Amino acid sequence: MDLYKEEVMDHYEHPRNVGEIESPNLQGRDSNASCGDMVQFQLAIENGIIKNAKWQGIGCAITTAAASKLSEWLVNKNIEDVKSKSEKELTKLAIGFEVNPGRLKCLTLPVRVVKRIWES
Amino acid sequence: MFDPSLIKKDFPIFSRNVNGKPLVYLDSGATSQKPGIVLDAEREYYEKHNANVHRGAHTLGDEATAMLALARSVVAKFVGGRESEIIFVRNTTEAINLVAYAWGLDNLRTGDVILSTEMEHHANLVPWQQVAERTGAKIELAKVTSGGLLDLEDYARKLKLKPKLVTMAHVSNALGTVNPVKEMTKMAHGVGAVVLIDGAQAVPHMRVNVTDLGCDFYAFSGHKMLGPMGIGVLWGKKEILTKMSPFLTGGGMINEVYPDHSTWTDLPDKFEAGTPNVAGAVGLMAAIEYLETLGMEQVGRHDREMVAYAISKLEKVDKVKLLGPVNAELRSGSVGFEYMGVHAHDVATVLDSEGVAIRSGHHCTMVLHKSLGLAASVRASFNVYTTTDDIDALISALDKVKKVFGK
Ligand SMILES: Cc1ncc(COP(=O)(O)O)c(C=O)c1O
Repeated sequence: MDLYKEEVMDHYEHPRNVGEIESPNLQGRDSNASCGDMVQFQLAIENGIIKNAKWQGIGCAITTAAASKLSEWLVNKNIEDVKSKSEKELTKLAIGFEVNPGRLKCLTLPVRVVKRIWES
Repeated sequence: MFDPSLIKKDFPIFSRNVNGKPLVYLDSGATSQKPGIVLDAEREYYEKHNANVHRGAHTLGDEATAMLALARSVVAKFVGGRESEIIFVRNTTEAINLVAYAWGLDNLRTGDVILSTEMEHHANLVPWQQVAERTGAKIELAKVTSGGLLDLEDYARKLKLKPKLVTMAHVSNALGTVNPVKEMTKMAHGVGAVVLIDGAQAVPHMRVNVTDLGCDFYAFSGHKMLGPMGIGVLWGKKEILTKMSPFLTGGGMINEVYPDHSTWTDLPDKFEAGTPNVAGAVGLMAAIEYLETLGMEQVGRHDREMVAYAISKLEKVDKVKLLGPVNAELRSGSVGFEYMGVHAHDVATVLDSEGVAIRSGHHCTMVLHKSLGLAASVRASFNVYTTTDDIDALISALDKVKKVFGK
């Protein structure tokens, strides 16, 4: 089964950066209507740089692994840099694995949450 | 003899492979596959008879009109209603919306109660929410027991609120539960309510007779009962339909049109504005004829056998927690379950890699999933072509889930 390769399973079984930041500068959450999965992201920002990223939620292996990878990638990124990237670019850069079309929403939920953080 | 492995040969789609494996289709609750004769009927309609109906006098127009009328009479006979009471729509969703808007908006007032159940498909909940918002009516939902049955005591209690409209699924698409709709209708009529039954998951698997049920409206979809997509049926009692205003308006449903007002034609045309889906109706007629050839009693028996077989196999799989009634006699069409520790979508993706198609998610029943405390579930659903081999394939594919997830 290609989708559930080692890297994905590793992030699913040992998700990174799960939890909450005491006083986050920014936060956002969203859910996938088709399954009720929910992801929340919190960011701590200093001088325009993401110093800490934490997430929590309920989700399938794909959503969990995607959120975990995204949280790792975000740390030490310039927020302007992150903001300027499209959902597609972020998915490619930060998450870097692909899924079949039926599971795309699972993969992109965490990215959608982060993209929307600036809007809230 | 009813032999699903022979029946399968009537369905062209089963000659294809998925992910290099023969297709095991256990998602008939979402939509059924179509036998060749349904596809042929639609094709023949377009190749030989296609014209618009009720318009102008020419041979093709007359043939198309006659075919639509014939399809209507076949549907009427199949569900035990009158031809004038059969309204062709796109699907169950549209049928329910028709009742919600054309009956609900005119008959519901502030404070009126709409009584439904916790196990409804969104198609039979969201339209009522819309109507409630516009009329000021209130929605009450009868509870589902922990055993997956409708809580009839709660239903009786809520009937005391004297609802104007009572609506329920004949068969739950997520739990497989068959509701005692005849008895429920009688109880609802006892308090003067109008009754709408959502038959989307019932008509494919059992003999339904609307007159015997005694309800006022009954809705179902062609595509779940071996027919084409895009054709569905609303049956309604003539006395009620006659008094109702139309839902959609335009051509085909008018009697006389003046610059500032119009008058409506008789039933059923009053509710069928615009060009109808004649090919769909003809395909549905072919599907009904196919089902009648198999025999609805046999179709029903086979369905119960598949449900019972699936339950007996799934029960033995470690980590599988079945949803809905344990007694197969109380259910129809599907078996839903949770695979403990693995998300339903992950289960579905692994099963698909083995060529097994099942449904995962909340199956358009978010209220039910919340009340059962579930995020998402997996559902295997059946039709006339489902074999015990298909269910065995599901069971072996679940082994793969165990391998991938180590659970
Ligand atoms: C119980 C029930 N009601 C309504 C519907 C909606 O049917 P359709 O999508 O054909 O309108 C479904 C379909 O899944 C269903 O299972």
